[in-house]
Amino acid sequence: MTVLDMRDVRKVYRSGDADIVALDHATLQVDHGEIVALLGPSGSGKTTLLSIAGGLLAATEGKVMVGGHDISEYDGKQLTEFRRNNVGFVFQSVNLVPFLTAEENLLVVDELGGGKGGKGAKARARQLLEELGLGHRTRNLPSQLSGGERQRVAIGRALFNNPRLVLFDEPTSALDTKLGAQVMELIRNEMKARDTAAIIVTHDRRMTEYADRTVEIVDGRLGAEAPAH
Amino acid sequence: MFLALHEIRRAKVRFGLLSGAVGLLVFLILFQQALLGGLINQFIGAIEHQSGEVLVYNGQARKNLEGSIILPAQEEAIAAVEGVGEASPLGEATFTVMAGGSVTDAVLFGYVLGKPGAPTTLIEGRLPEGPNEAVASEKDRDDGFDLGEVVQVQPDGVSITVVGIARDINYSVSPVLFTDFATYESAKRTRNPDAETILPSAIAIHLAPGANAAEVAQRINDEVEGVQALTRQQAVDGSPGVSSVRSSFVIILGLFYLVVPLVTGLFFLIVTFQKASALTLLRAIGARSRTLVSALLIQVLLVMAVGSLIAFGLYAVALQGVQNLGVRVEVMPAVYTSLVVLVLALSTSLVAVRRVLRLDPLAATTGVGVHL
Ligand SMILES: Nc1ncnc2c1ncn2[C@@H]1O[C@H](COP(=O)(O)OP(=O)(O)OP(=O)(O)O)[C@@H](O)[C@H]1O
Ligand SMILES: [Mg+2]
Repeated sequence: MTVLDMRDVRKVYRSGDADIVALDHATLQVDHGEIVALLGPSGSGKTTLLSIAGGLLAATEGKVMVGGHDISEYDGKQLTEFRRNNVGFVFQSVNLVPFLTAEENLLVVDELGGGKGGKGAKARARQLLEELGLGHRTRNLPSQLSGGERQRVAIGRALFNNPRLVLFDEPTSALDTKLGAQVMELIRNEMKARDTAAIIVTHDRRMTEYADRTVEIVDGRLGAEAPAH
Repeated sequence: MFLALHEIRRAKVRFGLLSGAVGLLVFLILFQQALLGGLINQFIGAIEHQSGEVLVYNGQARKNLEGSIILPAQEEAIAAVEGVGEASPLGEATFTVMAGGSVTDAVLFGYVLGKPGAPTTLIEGRLPEGPNEAVASEKDRDDGFDLGEVVQVQPDGVSITVVGIARDINYSVSPVLFTDFATYESAKRTRNPDAETILPSAIAIHLAPGANAAEVAQRINDEVEGVQALTRQQAVDGSPGVSSVRSSFVIILGLFYLVVPLVTGLFFLIVTFQKASALTLLRAIGARSRTLVSALLIQVLLVMAVGSLIAFGLYAVALQGVQNLGVRVEVMPAVYTSLVVLVLALSTSLVAVRRVLRLDPLAATTGVGVHL
């Protein structure tokens, strides 16, 4: 079953007189539970593709289906709701709310949806943080966590609404190689345990070994797909 | 609620300081309003709280009872004006009196018993029913003007027994005695034994049924030579001292009313700027703008509520210390003031709200250039 189906997606940024084509006829399918690495140099359009897939940015042309819904037709309100309920994000830089503890950074996802989770949400946040090796850190603020710990809280946050698709934008770029590998291992395990699909953006070829499949992107064009392993 | 409260919990000092500052400012507003009210009451409480709806002064008196006399012919003419129900003399003069064993100044208001000019705020005892009886002001009870005490006009003048206590009937910041007009006359004679007739300072008027005070005052001014008729409120507002006290207070109060919303508006704008990246992140993971805006407004409400409580506390304590100024804790004006301040604070926080509404969730993908 296809979780993400992007067809002939084009994204053109207007900046002044010049048009910047950030994505050019990008077509990509991601299956249920599949981990795809998106590999490309800086400025190649990786973040742009992720933003379109996650409903943060509207494509100039093309069709974007997520979980069977055509989000290219959604208006702002619908996109907000879509992001809240259907996708998980781990962004390149800011990922945590500084005035919320690790646990609250997870719970906020439930709160944004109206706090339907109640007491169960709290238990689930604890359990998820436990799984991510942060059982002893639930009450710490982001400023009291290491880079790797923060990244793991962000992963927990992205998973908390049980999305079918999680989008990772360079999740390890701020970490050293060893820590980066650990985090990638963790991401892989979590995704596989939940049967959740993921796109992991990276410009580091070594990280692609944690994916089921690698898609390369150069100048906004998706290229050679190579299965890993 | 979740976001608003957790943020406050993590920044207690910051929000505490703001609430404290708001509390202090609102307190100052309340206190100055109370002082202003108290001062004005002490200047003209007797005029505000006497029963005549219209007062007629001498045209030359410049709205000051002290320099005003009404001639018998004028009195007759006034009584004949359409819309005047009852017109009767009102005398006002300052005397040296012996009260509570010491010599002090007091203002006597003489009115014809049962006619306009009686005090309206009696809280204890009764109105005078004959000569040598008076209603005194609540504020001066401890200075020899309490119920049953005898006040003597100096030197060797009439002795007046206090038979009633009324609230807020001081005049020119002096103790006041409302007496029968005859008692007022005899007090005047103490000072001036040769006077043939004692003229009233003003005429107090009860309107005829259905008449309008402003219209009647206007008609008197048109029809009677050499007098100035004022509605009770005009007489209060026009009294010497009142308008100048009021206008200087109004400027200061206005500044305070401006400062509170400016302080809160700026505070929330700065805080919103500072947490822009967190707010952008929240928008990106699916927070509605509405959620973030309500979190902001809840914080404004909480800060103003806590600030108001602090202000009420300070106000109640502070007014204990100035009770002899005739200032009282009044709940409704305080509540009203804090509501006005709240509305002002909410309106300046709209600048911060606008910033929140302008957040672009896409900015979360770059982190850099998170702009508001
Ligand atoms: N808002 C924008 N306005 C104009 N041009 C943009 C905008 N966002 C991105 N671009 C351009 O689109 C292209 C793709 O950008 P994108 O951020 O998707 O690259 P990326 O692959 O994520 O790069 P990096 O690895 O540096 O994060 C770049 O040339 C970039 O300059
Ligand atoms: Mg990028």
